[in-house]
Amino acid sequence: MLLRVENIHKSYGAVEILKGVSFEMAPGQSKVIMGPSGTGKSTLLRCVNHLSPPDQGRIFVEGEELTAKNLNTMRQKVAFVFQDFNLFTHLRTVENVAIGPRKLRGFSKSAALDLAYKELDRVGLSDRADAYPAELSGGQQQRASIARALAMEPKLILFDEPTSALDPELTGEVVSVMNKLASEGMTMLVVSHEIGFARKAADEVIFMEGGKIIEQGPPSQLFEAPQQDRTRAFLNVIEHGGDA
Amino acid sequence: MSAWLDFAMEHLPYVLEGLPTTLGLWISAMAIGAVLGLALAWARIYGNRPIYAIATVYVEIFRGTPMLVQMLFIYLGLPEIGITFDPLTAAIIAIGLNTAAYQAEYLRGAVRSVPAGQMTAARALGMGKFQAFTTIILPQALRRVIPQWSNEAILELKYTSIAYAIGVTEITARAEKIGYETFQFFEVFLLIAAIYVVMTSVVAQLLQLLEKKVAVPGL
Repeated sequence: MLLRVENIHKSYGAVEILKGVSFEMAPGQSKVIMGPSGTGKSTLLRCVNHLSPPDQGRIFVEGEELTAKNLNTMRQKVAFVFQDFNLFTHLRTVENVAIGPRKLRGFSKSAALDLAYKELDRVGLSDRADAYPAELSGGQQQRASIARALAMEPKLILFDEPTSALDPELTGEVVSVMNKLASEGMTMLVVSHEIGFARKAADEVIFMEGGKIIEQGPPSQLFEAPQQDRTRAFLNVIEHGGDA
Repeated sequence: MSAWLDFAMEHLPYVLEGLPTTLGLWISAMAIGAVLGLALAWARIYGNRPIYAIATVYVEIFRGTPMLVQMLFIYLGLPEIGITFDPLTAAIIAIGLNTAAYQAEYLRGAVRSVPAGQMTAARALGMGKFQAFTTIILPQALRRVIPQWSNEAILELKYTSIAYAIGVTEITARAEKIGYETFQFFEVFLLIAAIYVVMTSVVAQLLQLLEKKVAVPGL
């Protein structure tokens, strides 16, 4: 297994957000985590690369346990795409993508830039390479941040609600980049309510509620024949609107 | 007016002989302040409890006492425990240690104003805390601190004049000497005031150019 998540518990103060979450991912798999807000999806994602270290439970990447000691090297294998992009404000788009290879992977400046242009091309942003983040649209910023993740040549990319901060007309360009990556065999763990992406690209959908996984399965099964009432009610809301 | 100009032209060369001392004192002190200020800012933001406490006490002491007292203490006080400096070195140390406290606070504010997501994103890439600070946070914080740093630089340029109190013959000391020789205090201090205005204006303009040159959209 590429990723093994074992019995993760996480509390903030007295509130227990994650109450024992376990799952595995094989190389090349895409999984989408769905569920009502406040249910611990983003917290789970942050536990996977220890942006929020879990209180209990263990994370294994390619069989190696993630610890406080190997954190920085392990994170180079597990890239993270943020809801609000978090591109480095002072760097041009291409420099945002090049800085990881340059500072962390030992690339020379020119090799890092070559790789950065290649990754920008992959997300369709070659023409904006010299722009600063503030000069990009939200969709362009998110694609640039995906390119920044790709430039680390990670084993796995975590996406934390990558389209939630975008206007509806801009989500399409980000989702199509994600579809393309999934079809190229990138291993992706995605917190998102983009049903279109889940149907098309996900091997499995994980439905969470109250800090636990309550149902998981292939998108066809989960969307067409959900076993749990809560899953059904939630899907009804995001597909048609209305109260959960 | 023309009488003053004649006076100024006559005494300007002597006053300006002190200019290298004034500028050398200022640049050395600002450099000490920048390096020490950066370390203090780091300690105040990321340091563990004892390191934070040491940095905080430092800042409070150096902001809470007059620079003249600090300078006299270093030049006249420290020799009593066997630490002796020549006047210029004592002045550089005093102004440097003092401005470090202020520069640390300005820098701390600038670092705090960088959105937290920048550090998170750097750490998520696999950077350590220190590397994330130097490659991502600091370049943004330094751009944001330039206006306040300019104020501090100009303030300290004027503060170099108090080094005259411990016998450094910078430009103010030379002006005073001319005053006692000619008894034209009005004219000589008008002259020295004009020199300070020219210097501070040039510094302000240069730093404004720097601010424009390193400006980035969205920062």
